[in-house]
Amino acid sequence: MNINATLLAQAVVMIVFVAICWRYVYPPILATMQEREKKISDGLEAAKKADDSLEEAKLAFDKELDKAKADAAEILEKANNRASQIVNDASSKAEAEAEKILTAAATNIENETNKAKEELRQQMSDIIIETTQKILGDEVSKEKHEAILKKAAEEL
Amino acid sequence: MAKELTTESYIDHHLTNLTCGHVGIDESAGIYKSFWTCDPYMVDKMGFWAFHVDSLFWSVLLGGLFIFLFKKGMSKCFDSNTAPTGMQNFVEMCIEFVEDNVQSLFGSVKNTLIAPLALTVFVWILLMNLMDLVPVDFLPVLAGHIAYAVAGESVDWITSPESFYFKVVPTTDPNITLGMAFAVFVLTIYYSITVKGLKNFVAELTLHPFGKWLIPVNFVLEMVNFIAKPISLGLRLFGNLYAGEMIFILIALMLFFSSIPIGVLGFGLHLVWALFHILIVALQAFIFMALTIAYLAMAHETEEH
Repeated sequence: MNINATLLAQAVVMIVFVAICWRYVYPPILATMQEREKKISDGLEAAKKADDSLEEAKLAFDKELDKAKADAAEILEKANNRASQIVNDASSKAEAEAEKILTAAATNIENETNKAKEELRQQMSDIIIETTQKILGDEVSKEKHEAILKKAAEEL
Repeated sequence: MAKELTTESYIDHHLTNLTCGHVGIDESAGIYKSFWTCDPYMVDKMGFWAFHVDSLFWSVLLGGLFIFLFKKGMSKCFDSNTAPTGMQNFVEMCIEFVEDNVQSLFGSVKNTLIAPLALTVFVWILLMNLMDLVPVDFLPVLAGHIAYAVAGESVDWITSPESFYFKVVPTTDPNITLGMAFAVFVLTIYYSITVKGLKNFVAELTLHPFGKWLIPVNFVLEMVNFIAKPISLGLRLFGNLYAGEMIFILIALMLFFSSIPIGVLGFGLHLVWALFHILIVALQAFIFMALTIAYLAMAHETEEH
């Protein structure tokens, strides 16, 4: 166990190993570790951000959905209203039309009846005059008894 | 010279390093020619310029393993787009642990060397300490047999597998721990001078605690304080691991040199001590790293005294 040149040799060996470690071994390992540390923390941050935006998107989605539902309900209601209105309109229009047609028909009938009556009266008076002429000969003429005939026709 | 296997020689074998050095000319000892050798009987003649080849071998091998694990083993994982797996998790755990410690001890001072230094020191010492958990006889005996088989014929001092010493745990060698503490000490001085400036550094060593009229006293006191740091840093690690190794050796002796009941007890003790030693292994590596960071942090402090 003498102290000898081994001591100096070991000191030199140590300095060599430390230099190798300092120059070639340590920096790349440390750099890799720091790089990965950064990557991991970036990744975690990104994941957190993604989570947040997912949450936001969900909220926005829910909001949109609610809005769409409300819109749909509104549109449906409007459509219903409109439909019932159209039906009402149509039916009232149809009623009016029917009424009009009925009225026109009634008027028509009345006119036709009056016309027919007039015709009938005319024919009646003609027949009466003819008949009377036949019975009375020429004494009775259409021109002479115009007033009487008219009166008779009116009485009919 | 096959020595008889005794308790003493067993312990001795485990505590002796494979030492290679240069033996100079010493005519009084009958050496007329200088030469390089690893003969354990020549260690006394080598003086300072001798190297513990086994300690340095494991130290470099484990340091290389560290670099390999953290560089080559990681290279295919250097893609921040894929999730980390297996080895990469372990590496990143180590780095985060080191970064946390540097952050807490160093605060806001930016010095890119500190974290890699702390990482190297921590993982390297941890690996060297972990060699203590390999059964004490396994690697030395294996190395002895390999050395005898390979070089037993050609090298005169390898006369048997037992004559080849091979210590396995580098941190039980004070040269290794003090060598690392010395490197830290050099870095401390370097940063003290470059960050604080030479003037402030000298002032810190001389004008404190008694003011400018007692500069010699101040210098002696501060110098003791200054030198004690690396020495205590190195010796703390050495002492803990050496004691741990010693206890493993003594437990191993219980298995081989005594009766069966004590041998069985030895197995139990070995398990308990190995489990406890895992704590020491990690703790001492951590302490060395923490103190290294702390000393370097002190070198960066520019407070006025």
